[in-house]
Amino acid sequence: MSHQEVPSSLRNILADVLEIPPEEVKPELSTETVSNWDSFRHLQAILALEGEYGVQFDPQRIPELTSVSLLQAELEKKGVAL
Amino acid sequence: MQSDSERLALRRQIKDAASSRDAGTAVRCARTLVATVNKPADVMFCASVFAGIAEFIQCQPGARTLKTYVVRSVTVEPILPFLTVEAVLSNYVLDLKVGGYGSYADELLNPQSALADFKPDLVLILLDLEEIAGRLPDLCADGRGVGVEEEVEECVGRMAKLLRGFRSGNSARVLLQGLVVPDLTSLGDVGNANLPHSLPSAVRQLNQKLAALCRTVSDCVFFDVDQLAARYGRAQWHDVRMFLASRLSVSANFFSSYSRGLVRAFSAMFRASRKVLCTDLDNTLWGGVLGEDGTDGIVTGNSFPGNCYLEYQKYLRQLSSRGILLAIVSKNNEADVRDAFRTRSADLALSLDNFVAVKIGWNDKSDSIQELAKELSLGLDSIVFVDDNPVECEAIRQQLPEVTVVEAPGLEPWKLAGVLSELPLFDTFAITDDDINRVNEYKAQAQRAELAGGASSRDEFLGSLGIVCTFQSALQAPLSRAVQLLAKTNQFNLTTRRHSAAKIEEFASTAGGQAVVVRVRDRFGDAGVVGLALACKQGESCIIDSLLLSCRVIGRGIETALLAHIGETALKDGAKRLTGEFIATPKNAPCANFYPEHGFVKRVQAEAADSDSVFYELDLIASPPMSPKWITLEGVESNEPSRSAVFSS
Repeated sequence: MSHQEVPSSLRNILADVLEIPPEEVKPELSTETVSNWDSFRHLQAILALEGEYGVQFDPQRIPELTSVSLLQAELEKKGVAL
Repeated sequence: MQSDSERLALRRQIKDAASSRDAGTAVRCARTLVATVNKPADVMFCASVFAGIAEFIQCQPGARTLKTYVVRSVTVEPILPFLTVEAVLSNYVLDLKVGGYGSYADELLNPQSALADFKPDLVLILLDLEEIAGRLPDLCADGRGVGVEEEVEECVGRMAKLLRGFRSGNSARVLLQGLVVPDLTSLGDVGNANLPHSLPSAVRQLNQKLAALCRTVSDCVFFDVDQLAARYGRAQWHDVRMFLASRLSVSANFFSSYSRGLVRAFSAMFRASRKVLCTDLDNTLWGGVLGEDGTDGIVTGNSFPGNCYLEYQKYLRQLSSRGILLAIVSKNNEADVRDAFRTRSADLALSLDNFVAVKIGWNDKSDSIQELAKELSLGLDSIVFVDDNPVECEAIRQQLPEVTVVEAPGLEPWKLAGVLSELPLFDTFAITDDDINRVNEYKAQAQRAELAGGASSRDEFLGSLGIVCTFQSALQAPLSRAVQLLAKTNQFNLTTRRHSAAKIEEFASTAGGQAVVVRVRDRFGDAGVVGLALACKQGESCIIDSLLLSCRVIGRGIETALLAHIGETALKDGAKRLTGEFIATPKNAPCANFYPEHGFVKRVQAEAADSDSVFYELDLIASPPMSPKWITLEGVESNEPSRSAVFSS
């Protein structure tokens, strides 16, 4: 998926949460590659996405959604039009 | 709701303001963004921007930086950006540090703890039910309550030890968060409502006891999070999924509301409450425009929509009863307003007496508010201004930025009391006797200062009092009052003769005799019958036997008016001279020079040498005594029917 652009709404939310410029939000970005993407930042991202798109993540899936592309895929699976 | 383009424009403005280090604009735009758009990402954006310009926010007028340590048993980290933003919007910059999950006792009590090292200004204690009273759910399971009360007491005792122990070694201010009353339990709604020891009732009890505990610890405020949860709906407030998965005790939808509640609660320990509420009248205190609709046309009273305004008036009355000063700032004719308060009093919950200051006129309201602040010796930052007119509101915001402006929802008057309650303007966590007494103190101060400040001379000052003297025959006023004045008056009493009622009647009924009382009122009230003069005519001279005045009203020219009244009557009776008599006593020095000061000439002593009396003469034809121009005279005709016969002695 790394050849694709991240949809702008998702990109902007993650940029706000991770405190990085939107253009730096790439699909391959993950908890491994972004230094301040820790577990609390991850929870913030999840809550922000839930609030924005009106969905709820399964708490068991939350720890597994560790990259931008995984988050995007999960949102699409829940029928969110990104 | 803002459109997305407006939202993006606000974000851009915030960013631009931050890069030019304009903290004021950044905060203002953030306020609009957060108030109109409820997107968590925007709050995180603002928190990030604020963190970058914290040093400039700290320099904003009135801003306070608080080193804040969070003692907790729940997850707070995702809430911190919201707390940061809400704090900045209330002009606090929080330097936050969060403690460990289970270590609150050590953090609070150990002098070498991370908390102690941090040297906080503020400690937030955010513990959940499990931590504070973990045994309660099981003890309350059967609703009968074996051991429940003991458990509650034990929990409160444990918290008391924590708080007192902390206080003995640390002076940081403390916020203790209460518990959210559990909503759905195994007893069900019916059991919870009817059984003596359900979990909800035990937790309510615990909250009350924790609040009472906080009252006994200095600089400690209780934060009733249950009140917030109930306001927004307990079912929405608590997200079971996120609580069980991540120990988040508040649903993400309420991070902002929760943070605002926390800030509001601790703010009461750092900032004084506002002291004065200045209200507009037309379409604010009552409906309609007095100048156009007239006294009968203004809308107030028990039926809709007048009762909307009545609610607001009652709200103000309640504020006043706990020491908040009320003032009127209105563009109106003062006489119309006084008339409206008088004739519509049955439809109003407030009278003019409830206001410590009244600024009615056609001046700029900013001038009126400044005058008022000066008169009350209070800063502009302690003043709240309520007005329905957006132009007036904006004028005050621009000209007096320290004043808090509340725009009354003119078209939805039922909302005004609620709008005021939602603002933290009059928050306080303790009310003292001084607060309660403040209203009366300031009222007197404002009246004096208003007059002294406005008057450039004594005459102008006296003129502004609006003194009205009513002269009456002593027989028309209650005679007992005249006798009482003769018996009691010492300081301003020229002869101190303690005449009887019969003697007064004799003066009144003799041809050429006078027995006159003076009744005085001014704009602050009616002083009643305060002066008396007795005189009789002998040949061409009118001899003043007695002249006295209650010491409450000395020095306002009333004595001169009384003398002028006697002289005028004497002239009508054919007298050509006034003869005054003074008998010195140990107490009446204040009036020793009364006659010389009024142009009388001392008579060469012709009476018996042992008399204490000194006599003075005045030529009535050449120089009749004149009443001061600042006094309005009433009832000059001695045969006018009494209007104050009911005045009690």
